[in-house]
Order: sequence, then C-alpha cells, then structure tokens
Amino acid sequence: MNVITRGIRNAFRNMIRTLSITVILGLSIGLSLVMLIANQAVANKIASVKASIGNTISISPAGFTPGSSANNALTTNELNSVKTIAHVTNLTEVLTDRLHNANATLPSRFPFDNTSSNGNNTTSLSSPIKLNVNRGGNGPRIFINGGGNLPSNFSLPVSIIGTTDPSNVNSNAITITSGSTIDAGKSTHNALVSTSMAAKNDMKVGSTFTAYGTTLTVKGIFTGDSTSAVANDVIVSLPTEQQLSGQTGVVTGAVATVDSIDNLDATTTAIQNKLGSAANVTNAVTEANNTISPLNSVKTITLYSLIGAVAAGSMIILMTMVMIVRERRREIGVIKAIGASNLRVMTQFMAESVTFTLLGAVVGIIGGVLAGNPITKLLVSNSTNAGARGPGGGFRHGGGFGPGHAFASFHSGIANISASIGWDIILYGLAAAVIIALIGSALASFFIAKIRPAEVMRAE
Amino acid sequence: MLQVTDVQRTFKSGDTTVTAVGGVNFKIPEGKFASIVGQSGSGKTTLLSLLGGLDKPTSGSIEVDGQDITKMHDHQLIGYRCRKIGFVFQQYNLVPNLTAIENVMLPMEFAKVPVAKRQARAKELLAQVELSEDQMKRKPGRLSGGQQQRVAIARALANSPALILADEPTGNLDSQTGKMIFDLLHSLSRSQNTTIVVVTHDLSIAGKTDKVFRLKDGKLVR
Repeated sequence: MNVITRGIRNAFRNMIRTLSITVILGLSIGLSLVMLIANQAVANKIASVKASIGNTISISPAGFTPGSSANNALTTNELNSVKTIAHVTNLTEVLTDRLHNANATLPSRFPFDNTSSNGNNTTSLSSPIKLNVNRGGNGPRIFINGGGNLPSNFSLPVSIIGTTDPSNVNSNAITITSGSTIDAGKSTHNALVSTSMAAKNDMKVGSTFTAYGTTLTVKGIFTGDSTSAVANDVIVSLPTEQQLSGQTGVVTGAVATVDSIDNLDATTTAIQNKLGSAANVTNAVTEANNTISPLNSVKTITLYSLIGAVAAGSMIILMTMVMIVRERRREIGVIKAIGASNLRVMTQFMAESVTFTLLGAVVGIIGGVLAGNPITKLLVSNSTNAGARGPGGGFRHGGGFGPGHAFASFHSGIANISASIGWDIILYGLAAAVIIALIGSALASFFIAKIRPAEVMRAE
Repeated sequence: MLQVTDVQRTFKSGDTTVTAVGGVNFKIPEGKFASIVGQSGSGKTTLLSLLGGLDKPTSGSIEVDGQDITKMHDHQLIGYRCRKIGFVFQQYNLVPNLTAIENVMLPMEFAKVPVAKRQARAKELLAQVELSEDQMKRKPGRLSGGQQQRVAIARALANSPALILADEPTGNLDSQTGKMIFDLLHSLSRSQNTTIVVVTHDLSIAGKTDKVFRLKDGKLVR
C-alpha cells in the first residue's frame, strides 16, 4: 500500500460522512456544470445573434404598429431624401394592407381595419391559415371574449404587400417556385402568391383573383425562408398597391441598406435627423442589443453562480478536510514520529480530498449533464419572458412591417436555445473537482505542517 | 550506544523560563534495556522527545550510534526517526483503518523498503510478537489492548532501529498483560541487540531493567 492508496482508503473510513460529502459536493459540482453549460450556451447564442445582424436600418411611421391604419404613413417623397444620405446603398419601400374575403363573415369586434382610401378592402382569396379558437390546438390562435366560435365561413384577412423589392419580404428571402417575379417599379395588375395561398385557392401561374375590386393575375408562386411566415401573403409592386388601395405616394415602412455595419449607427442617426419625429428609425444592432439584454443577464447570473458554486464546493471540502485533520491530529503526529515527512502526509490527505471530489464529480457530472439543457432553457425562457416585450409583438399575420419583424425573428431565435454537452464539459467538471480538491486541501495541509509529533507524545 | 551530554530544554511561558530538562548526562551501551522513572511533570516525556528527535534541546548533545542528532536539520531528523528510532506509545497509536500487518509495514514504506520485503518482514515481526495469521489481518479495533501493544512493538522494530523509545508501554494494560509486554521488550533487547529506553512510573518494572534513571524536576537524581 502506498500513500495514495492509503489516502483513497481513508476517504471511505466513515461511510456516512463520505456519502454526505459526495452528495453535497455532487450538488456543488453539478450546479457549477449546469451554470457552465448555461453560460456557454448563452454566450454562443449571443455570438450567433450578433453574427446574424445585417447592415440594414428599419424605417417605420412614428407610432405605427403592424396591422394598424397607416394614417400617419411616410411618403415616397420623404424617403427619397433618405436615398441621398451617405452610406445608404439601397432603400426598399413597402406598403402593406389586409384584405378580407368578400364572401366571408368576420366576427364582431374582429381586429380588422379598413386602411384603403377606396373603402373596398376585399378579395376573392381565402386565407390558408386556420385559426384555432380559444386556445385549442397548435398554430395561430384567436381568443373570443365570452367564448363562442368563429363564423363557419370565416377566413382570416390576407396580407397584401406592395414592395420595391419582391425578393425579400418581411425579412424573408423569397424564392419563386413557379412562374416569374413581378416588375417592382411599375404599376401592373400582376401579383405573386404564396404556395399555401395558391393551393388553398386552387391557383396556378396565370390564374386570376380580385383585390380592391380589381382583377389581378398570378405571375409567380413563391415560398420564403419560413414557409409559415409568408403563407398568408400576396406580393405586388409598390406602385400597384399604392394605386389599388388609393394611397398614392404612401409607404408604411422601408429598409435602408448601409455599405458597412461600422456605419450603421451613424447612418441611423442621419436618417432619423432627416425624417424627424415622423419616423421611427432603428437598426438591427439596437434591436439585437435590446433582444439579447436578457441573455446578457442570464450570462452574468450563470457566471456568478458558477463562481459561487465552485467557491461553495471548495469551502465544503476545505472545512471537511480541516475537520478531518483536527480529528486525526494524533494519528498525523504518530505517522510523523515514525518517519513520515510533511509532504508524504499532505499527499495522503490530498489523495483523500481528491477522492471525495472525484466521487462528487461523478454525481455532479451526471446531474449536470441531465439538468444542463432543461435549466438553461428555463433560465433563458424566464429571462426573455420577463424582459423581452417590445414593438411588433402580437398577431403577425396582419401583414405588419418594420422593426417588429426583425425583433420578432431575434426574439423567437433567442428563446430557441439549446445547450450542447460535450466531453469538454465533462473535462471541465473533472478539472473543477481537482481545483476544488486542491483548494480544499490547502488549509488542511497548512495544519498538517503545523502538527508537531512531540505534542502528541506530550498528550499521552 | 546512546550518549546524552548536558542536555537542557527550556520553554518560555510568558516572562518566565521553565526548565523541563536541565543538564542531563547519561550513557546507555548498545543492546541495554534502560528505564527512566519519575513523577508526573518531572520531564520524562520531554527527555524521550529529545532522544527521539521529535524536539531539539536548548543546549547539549545527544549521540546515537556516534551521530549527534542535535546538529541535524529537520529533513535529516525525519530520516533519523525513520531508520534509527522505534516508538512505542502508551495508547498504542496504531492507524485504525490499517490492518496489523499494514501498520507494521508503514515505517518500512517511509524507509522505501520494497513491498515484498516489507510484507515478509512485517509477518516475521508479528510472528515474533506472537500474533496469529488471522490476527495480522485484523484492524486494531478488533485486537485486544495487549495485542495492539504487541503490534506497536513490531512496528517499532520494523526498520531495525538502533533505539526503541517506549513511553509508558504498559500504562494502559492490566498487570498480567503489562508484564508480558515488558518481558517481550526485554527479550527483544537481547535477541535484536537493540537499545531500549522505557519511560515508566512503575518501579517494579523499572527495577527489572539494566539501568534506571530517576528524573526529578528535569534533573537526574540518584
């Protein structure tokens, strides 16, 4: 038997104590690992959110919320001045509206407004979106005050989007699956419909439908990055939508592209100064910072908790080892008297301390690996629910545009966090255990060095 | 040969200096069995600590096998204790979670004796102090006081020391077992040619040793 074996065997001298220390250290190491896992997952998420930030600036009418009436809308003339601002390389303008099926019945007090000046917001299209009433089922839902059901011929109003860039709508890259795209600069009676919309209304390229009492022809059928996000959309050119809805020169939002992300903040300020209080001008950095601020809180909390858990573990083993050394004072004195050096006795106690922490590490690693992902999700979920409420929340199928969409995509992204647990985490756990053991045995070693065998003989 | 020359050990206690051992001189030839007797507080244990290299004298010299241990550094003293000294304590002081044989192997581990040799020597010593094979595998808690003291004696003999220092080795035993332990020490001093110094206040035991030193107030008296 050597000094290490003796140390390991000493760790099992009192089984009740060994079990208690293992459980307590296991909790401490497990908590450290969970916090490390959460910290890494959140840090990775923050990095990915930051990496996904584009060099675009969102411009929307002040006080405008998606789906509401654009009574304070911006105009093409106002936005033309934005095009001349330094570093702005492109400006996409959009006018959105909602059209309800002419043959469908809307329930009373349904949140639908008539934004067009011609007063005919109807279409022949039926929405492919099925609303679940009063929290039943999955997918989009509607709550009817006092209970009840939607009318049997109800169809959700569809979004019609007039844009100067039909290749990207509501932060979704558009892919034409059939037919061709529209001419975004001209007022034509051509439209693009989503694959879901085409299927619902049995349409193909060349089919026609009505909007605002005017017949439009399906020029192309599209899908987006997110099929569900664009399912309820019809895309026309900006001049077409302005002409059909009788809102000449009006836009409900715009996206300015800047030459470099470094110029994003300065250009945002320049646009805001140019448009004044009539517009809300935000960039993705601001929105991303707002969105990830709860994640930063989680990151800080997990970091402090990690330090706290390691410190608690160290304190537990430190106090335990001091207690053990005090308890075995005579034994240490005798061992020294019969020829053991301080280093040898310290090594024996370190082996005992490492044994305790490795036992705790096994329990902690199992617990940490099992609890890491759920706790990370819980922390992020609680934090983002409490902290991330901003513009653009709510029912999105109304066809809103502007910062709300960018925000919504960030927000949905951060809630969808997943902690990866690899060998590195297990190695960190073992390293933490060894660090805890070494810190824990430091004071004990000091006491061991102070024990003089002569005192043991005197105590006889 | 153990030669103690004018050894003094004083302690500071506040403003006063307490003399635990004051100018002790004696000589014990190799293989002799000596006893130090005296009342409680007479300095017996302090003197034993000085002889064992557990403590350093304030002045004087202690020579064991021609080596002055008072001039040794701490790390040299560890080696001295390991190879030249065997301790036997009143409370036996065996390591409770080691078996009898493992306890005897312990000093040999510190002296870096190979495992196989350690095991053979430990068995031989335990057999010498009349412990059965079964008892050798028992932990101290499952041995009687006399058996534990015999294990302690075997442990003290492990590295074939020049000097065995026993502090009240029979103090915790009944008279019959005490006599048996004393006889064992006596016979070992003869058979192993080991110098043995026993601290005791039992004059009947002390009377049977080759030399008796009486200690009073830290000084040897006749």
